[in-house]
Amino acid sequence: MEDTNAKNDLLPEEEEQVQKKDKYVTFKSGQEFFGIKIQYVNEIIVFQEITEIPECENYIKGLINLRGKIIPVIDVRLRFGQEPIEYNDRTCIIVLNVNDTVVGLIVERIAEVVEISQKNIIPSPSIGKKDKAHHVFVNSIGKVGNSVKLLLDPDKLLNDDDIAVLEQMEKLSEEEGE
Amino acid sequence: MAEEFNTEGMLDMYLFENGQLLERLQEIVLEQKDADSFDEESMNEIFRTMHTIKGSSGVMMFDDITALSHKLEDIFYYLRESHPDNVPHLELVEHVLDVADFITGEMEKLENGETADGSSAELIKNLDEFLDSIKGKTKKEKDKVIQENVHEEPQQFYIAPMATEASHFYKIYLTFNEGIALANVHAYKIVYSLKEIAEDIMYSPEDIISDESSAEEILENGFKILLQTQTEKEQLGEMLPTGYELKKVEILECTGQEFLQGFDSFGSEIRIDLESSVEVIEARAGTKEQGKTKVDKPIAPGDFVIESKGPGKQKKLAKDKPKKQEKTTFISVDVQKMDMLMDLIGELVISESVVLQNPDLKVPGLKLDNFHKAAGQMMKISTDLQNVIMSMRMVPLTNTFQKMNRIVFDASRKLGKDVEFEMIGDATEVDKNIIEHISDPLMHLVRNSVDHGIEENEERAKKGKKEKGKVTLSAKTESGKVWISVQDNGQGLDRAKILAKARKQGLLEYGREESSYTDKEVYQFITLPGFSTNEKVTELSGRGVGMDVVVSNLQSIGGALEIESTPGEGSTMNMKIPLTLAIIDGIVMEVGNSSFVIETSMVKEFVGIRDNRLIRNPDGKEFVMIRGEGYPVLRLGEWYEISGYQSDTEDGMLVIVEVEKQVICILADRLRGKQEIVVKPIPDYIKKVKGLSGCTQLGDGSIALILDAAGLIEE
Repeated sequence: MEDTNAKNDLLPEEEEQVQKKDKYVTFKSGQEFFGIKIQYVNEIIVFQEITEIPECENYIKGLINLRGKIIPVIDVRLRFGQEPIEYNDRTCIIVLNVNDTVVGLIVERIAEVVEISQKNIIPSPSIGKKDKAHHVFVNSIGKVGNSVKLLLDPDKLLNDDDIAVLEQMEKLSEEEGE
Repeated sequence: MAEEFNTEGMLDMYLFENGQLLERLQEIVLEQKDADSFDEESMNEIFRTMHTIKGSSGVMMFDDITALSHKLEDIFYYLRESHPDNVPHLELVEHVLDVADFITGEMEKLENGETADGSSAELIKNLDEFLDSIKGKTKKEKDKVIQENVHEEPQQFYIAPMATEASHFYKIYLTFNEGIALANVHAYKIVYSLKEIAEDIMYSPEDIISDESSAEEILENGFKILLQTQTEKEQLGEMLPTGYELKKVEILECTGQEFLQGFDSFGSEIRIDLESSVEVIEARAGTKEQGKTKVDKPIAPGDFVIESKGPGKQKKLAKDKPKKQEKTTFISVDVQKMDMLMDLIGELVISESVVLQNPDLKVPGLKLDNFHKAAGQMMKISTDLQNVIMSMRMVPLTNTFQKMNRIVFDASRKLGKDVEFEMIGDATEVDKNIIEHISDPLMHLVRNSVDHGIEENEERAKKGKKEKGKVTLSAKTESGKVWISVQDNGQGLDRAKILAKARKQGLLEYGREESSYTDKEVYQFITLPGFSTNEKVTELSGRGVGMDVVVSNLQSIGGALEIESTPGEGSTMNMKIPLTLAIIDGIVMEVGNSSFVIETSMVKEFVGIRDNRLIRNPDGKEFVMIRGEGYPVLRLGEWYEISGYQSDTEDGMLVIVEVEKQVICILADRLRGKQEIVVKPIPDYIKKVKGLSGCTQLGDGSIALILDAAGLIEE
């Protein structure tokens, strides 16, 4: 590691921080670039036809058939409350696996895979209480050169509070059933 | 030694193996519960099962299980050796089942991550008393014989005696620490571990399995082993570390000659029956071939090869049971892997059609004869592949039926009824996930038959019926469905009684004559919640739960229950269940750009209609009149707000669906055809949508949603 020279000058915790680098898949949505930890990314596929599911949240676009596996896909723009745009040949689907939930993420354009070290990641700044929906998905900001990437919390991205409540209700009713 | 074992990984194996053994044990016992005694082969098998369980439980340090299985093994050892005539067979059967239940219970605890803390002391006491009672009675008559059998007849344990030049011969003296409980079991553990490397092994005292006094002998005089093996002395030493149980280990290499002299060369007091040792020595001194001919039947570990030549015994041993039919060999596979395989094959079929119908092939003037030939071959293989994977998911009903045997036995004993149990067609195969769903309903039905159906013994006699009640469980496949029926030859259902009860509960339709109810309608009442005509609530049934649970369980897998009954002659409960849940035969239809599938069996007919036949009532609900009957219409496009559906009914197609006796008409844009589809769940991430039960992949790779008609009608 190139950091070994600096080793003696650093406290053990700091040393760990410097050495820790994470890879992020970044994509563009609207004007901003977003990043998601590569551990959560199964694969990136080209856009494919979506089967709509009735009675769903607007950002859940439907189901796709990923080589025999049927997975739900969500539109990131709609999820972020941005205006929907037409899908084109640059539209991609990032297949995420978060705690065994496999979900496709429709993004406008894939940017690149970047390495961001821990020291270049700062918590996402916000004014007052963190109640803006936008901030919920972005838990920190990564600095890469002169640009910034908004780093997403995949758990929050996929799971609505509604869903959590719903799950809880299901659990309760299941327990009652028993 | 034992406490050094890492039992984590072994536990699964232990549970799996013993679970199977116990199942087999119950099977044997129940098979012969009506006989006067167990035959030789089953006795051997029960003995061997207990022996294996004891051995493995000992290794796993489950002392209660070890002790209990040891005790039962004792009993069977005694039975097998002494053939007492006056064994109360049913009592013995119950003892064996009790033991099996105890061990199963303990294993369940272990499986749930608890400790096996149940105490077997009482069961052991019962077994002791039982053993004493059969011994006590026989002692007077056969005292001498027993003495001989138990103490003087030596048994040879042997494991494929084959000597090669690389073999070493060892004499091993083991001294155990004083105060070790069940030293014989510990000794057996050592023998068991040595068996893995042994070409031949003998030990003294010989009867460490069923003779408890051998524990003391081992503690006092030490345990001696004669071992023929290819293992070097050093490695052997490592296998036998001194420690918790072993105080001293002495390993002496000796010659083959000394080895053949057996324990005599130890200067031991054990006398070896001349006849058998000559045979053994001959076999061992001989070449491999001779060794093979000697061991003409595979000898299971712990199996006794009894060399005794008592004339009386010879006769009994000769009474062989007819050979069992060949059993299929099995391996257990993770269901997830099977599902993965199935998904992959599904993909293969789809990509196959993508290749074969590729637009590139449509270029005019291409010569494709060879291509089509090869394609035909490939299609055949992929179809076969699909069939095989489907058949792999199918499991015979045998195990489920076998469990029912036990239930009949228990219930009939509890109620004091004589009930015979018969299974027909238990080899019928059903998808694995269906089996999980029918076990409970089946249990209820079988219990009901024994409890309500079959009359008391005296009553049967009074009616002039054959003394024994009979419950028949049968299974067959017919037109893509499995029929499982539970039939009894009891009293049948009492129409008047059911009607009276139904009247009391206010279930009868107002103003309808009782006589106008058909038998089928009347019998359906018993499937309603809280309906029981049994006056007395017994431990087994009569509380009115059961039949409704049976029906709802069956409905959850798309099955149904039909009841037939003849008063005085018995009743039959027919369960009609689908072969598999994974594949359904469905009608594919389209609405806008979406495809939907509905199970074919629910569809009554398709009707194309003109707009003017639709009637809209003031609150916006639509009806259609078909042959003088009005049915509600459900426009799928409207219901699910699908963009681009056809609002003009004349172009659409009405699919008339009947579910739970209700008829609804689903209006779709067009039909696409009928096909077999593989049901997949809608991902959990998407919350449940009313009226949808799953999704599937169509031939072109697109996804269709499966309509759940029952969900559509509940509003």
